[in-house]
Amino acid sequence: MAREFTIGIGGAAGDGLDKSGDTLAKSVSRRGLHVCAYNSYQSVIRGGHIWLRVRISEQKVYSHGDRLHLLIALNQDSVERHAPEVEPGGAVLYNSDRFSCDASLLGDGVVPLPLPVKEITKDLGRLLPIMQNTVALGAVVFLARLDFDSMAGVLADTFKHKGQAVIDQNVKILQAGFDYAKERFVPLAKEAWNFSGMRRPFATGNELFALGAVAAGCKFYSAYPMTPASSVLHWMASHGERCGLVVKQCEDELAVVNMAIGAGQAGVRAMCATSGGGFALMTEAIGMAGMIETPVVVVEVQRGGPSTGIPTKTEQGDLNQVYGASQGDFPRVIIAPTDTTDCYWATVESFNLAEKYQLPVLIISDLLLSEHPETIEPDALRHDVPIERGELVNEWPEGNGPYKRYACTPSGVSPRALPGTAGTEYVSATDEHDEEGFTISDVFTSPPVRRKIMEKRMKKMEGVIRELAPPKLEGPEDAPVTLIGWGSTCGVIREARALLAAQGIQSNHLHIKYIHPFHAEDVTAILKKCKILIGVEVNYSAQFARYLRAETGITVHESILKYDGEPFEPRIIAEEAKRILAGRPINLDVTKEDAREMAYHYVRTHLADADRPAEIELADGNSHGESLWRVQLVDRASGEVRGELKIGVKTGSIYAWEPLTAART
Amino acid sequence: MATTAMPPAAPKKVNRVGLEPADYKGNRSTLCAGCGHNAISERIIEACYELGVEPYRVAKLSGIGCSSKSPAYFLRSSHGFNAVHGRMPSVATGTVLANRAIMALGVSGDGDSASIGIGQFVHLMRRNLPCVYIIEDNGCYGLTKGQFSATADLGSKLKTGVVNDLPPIDTCALAIQLGATYVARSFSGDKKQLLALLEGALVHRGTAMLDVISPCVTFNDHEGSTKSYSYVKDHDEPLSDVSFVPYFEDITVEYEPGTSTEIALPDGSRLVLKKLRTDYDPHSKVEALRLLTESHDKGEIVTGLFYIDTERPNFLDLLNVVDEPLATLPESRVRPPQSALNEVMDSLR
Repeated sequence: MAREFTIGIGGAAGDGLDKSGDTLAKSVSRRGLHVCAYNSYQSVIRGGHIWLRVRISEQKVYSHGDRLHLLIALNQDSVERHAPEVEPGGAVLYNSDRFSCDASLLGDGVVPLPLPVKEITKDLGRLLPIMQNTVALGAVVFLARLDFDSMAGVLADTFKHKGQAVIDQNVKILQAGFDYAKERFVPLAKEAWNFSGMRRPFATGNELFALGAVAAGCKFYSAYPMTPASSVLHWMASHGERCGLVVKQCEDELAVVNMAIGAGQAGVRAMCATSGGGFALMTEAIGMAGMIETPVVVVEVQRGGPSTGIPTKTEQGDLNQVYGASQGDFPRVIIAPTDTTDCYWATVESFNLAEKYQLPVLIISDLLLSEHPETIEPDALRHDVPIERGELVNEWPEGNGPYKRYACTPSGVSPRALPGTAGTEYVSATDEHDEEGFTISDVFTSPPVRRKIMEKRMKKMEGVIRELAPPKLEGPEDAPVTLIGWGSTCGVIREARALLAAQGIQSNHLHIKYIHPFHAEDVTAILKKCKILIGVEVNYSAQFARYLRAETGITVHESILKYDGEPFEPRIIAEEAKRILAGRPINLDVTKEDAREMAYHYVRTHLADADRPAEIELADGNSHGESLWRVQLVDRASGEVRGELKIGVKTGSIYAWEPLTAART
Repeated sequence: MATTAMPPAAPKKVNRVGLEPADYKGNRSTLCAGCGHNAISERIIEACYELGVEPYRVAKLSGIGCSSKSPAYFLRSSHGFNAVHGRMPSVATGTVLANRAIMALGVSGDGDSASIGIGQFVHLMRRNLPCVYIIEDNGCYGLTKGQFSATADLGSKLKTGVVNDLPPIDTCALAIQLGATYVARSFSGDKKQLLALLEGALVHRGTAMLDVISPCVTFNDHEGSTKSYSYVKDHDEPLSDVSFVPYFEDITVEYEPGTSTEIALPDGSRLVLKKLRTDYDPHSKVEALRLLTESHDKGEIVTGLFYIDTERPNFLDLLNVVDEPLATLPESRVRPPQSALNEVMDSLR
């Protein structure tokens, strides 16, 4: 078993968690370890609850996992909510100047490790509150047996622009945290790491969408800020000038996509990225790109819907929207990249398909894939990527006869002349048109012309599918169960299969990257031989399973679905697969852990965050017609019992808050 | 068979790029006979001919509506882009950014610009993108049987008797306020003024916005309409007598001394304005907005060049786009320098 160690950091927005997580991750990725991290955050600038996990391993890991060895709690809330998740042999590190860690919250074999930050740093001058994180990181270096110099090096790079004095202060703080831990604690990691020394890049999917686009010769990027697509814009804005591309933040997504199409029409490689709400505004123009046969690449980074939904949470709920975007039938490609590195290559491929086949390519990502950072192989991203622009007409001699922009060809692809090429003038009309671009929508109309031009456009899809690699089954062909996923869940399904295998359950895995056009024949051939089919999707209604049925006539036996905003973890998929194999029905009841989280929500919205849940027990519902969770709430500071909250086990309704004592004054 | 010797044909009239007026024509119009838009198309043909514009360098961009069909009726040998409703401004922006050598000629209508596309319109004006933006303004949606648009005047009446109960959007006032650098209003029936304003717009290097009142003969050309031929003729108050002098022709426009203003345009051409109103200064935003507000209150339709600024940087200047068109960069220059990509990779480690 490869060594691995997962560190969780919990706090509020504004506590600087993401920076600390980055420092931690880079300090180990620079020494050759693998890292996969996930930041669970909220749509607020300050406050709320932020929960970041950093999984460190000697071998490649495909998700942030579901284990926790060390918790760094930056506030009381984080101690209460995450201390129970720490595994035996683990620890909770917390700033003991500011709050306490109740031993009753800790599992067996988990130790509280108080850090008196003021005392530790008393000789280091005036500290910003955010520097408590650096003290904790120093202690982490000792506890997890990481490399102190590597982390000091990351801090030096981070604060380079602030001068040597700031770097020195931060390194001293790091040292103080390390020294304090060394004196009083014992390392949690049993053995030293086997550092390979290879400096691994640490990147998010959004960064690689941007980098892939730039490498592929994208010269125009337009966007309107929208979580979780905004970091593509940030990257483009800060690198655009150096890489020679125009970056335009527009007034809305209507302008964003139309500008990109205008640029694509004029002949540059153009891209834009957005999330579900913005994509909804773009749909009319995407059909336009299909109609006028203009290349454009649109990235849709899904977040929890519907409507504004949960902007900072992940979901795969926009498949129906992306597939159904815009009126009428038109050729387009939909690609769902399957991991971080694939974000780079899928973008490169998208530009080539868009130009060769003169159509919109829609890349469907999600918050998890776009925002979680992980280490990638140093040689995974080549820069000399293929740039295939398709059939271009660069000049049109007079004797050639009229240039037909939409010439009906056997492949459906009509050689494209860019505006400004003398002798090739044509009109790109969103109205239906003939080969030369003359509209057939007003005084001239012609059903056969319409039929043939529609067939010509759609014919291009036959060429596209021949270029796309069909999906392959991973794992033993004769396994009793097949997990079927699409897009971002590839890694977590792979790890779930490993968990199942460790428990003696063989499985295989079919993962879909090319949503449209769909390899219906290949997929049908593969699935016909499989036994129990389980779809794995991060949405409520199993949108992909429905699509699979439409394309192949094959119905999955059951789906494992998640729509609570958080990404899958391997254990969840493995447990659900076991349930399905055992023939047990799905249980959607409120669990004890759910009841605890719901109680926290009630405390925050109704009780000014002054209480916390303590004892939780199951009880008869009496008048409520369902069983209840009785959640005892105690005062956060004194531990005094405040009252009881009654939560329906089936419905999740908060039936009653029954305070024991008079309201606080 | 006896043959008759034909007299030698008179040399055809050509412009400085060797093209005849017919080379600037388009397909036969499918709009209603007498539609103001057809007159505007004719002026565009004349202006491009007189200036010696190379048709293949022009991109005619439009949205949806009667106005947006009209690019088919001029400059047959130019590229065209019929976008979706209200989205021509962003398509034009993308096109110009991708290929700065292209001369963008946008044609829109009052519904396309002031209603569904108002968000796009105002932001284009802000950008001061080098382009000509013509609104063929008839105050109604002709193609869908004449419903009111957002430029219809308060109290204006439809044939069906429906009265417009909301005030109009003045696209010129908006354009001036937001940063367009050449803003004018004209009337489709005023051949001389419209031609001069179009020529000035075509050589301007920023956003040139022309609102052209263009009566809809089918739905909005009756008593009670303030966008009818008769109403506009009776209430048109030209600001000045406009003459355009191209840089390649050494013409002196004869006005009495002291009654005219000359504006030098970036390519060396000149606009000569013979003042009809006292001391109107087209370089002042404040004066322009006051004029528009006052004349509106009086029920007058003032036409002419309201505002011009030849100094303000345009969008291409602001974005530091390279001098050659991005669209035609060779592959070696499409890829970013290897050093830039290496820097990016280093920053991820």
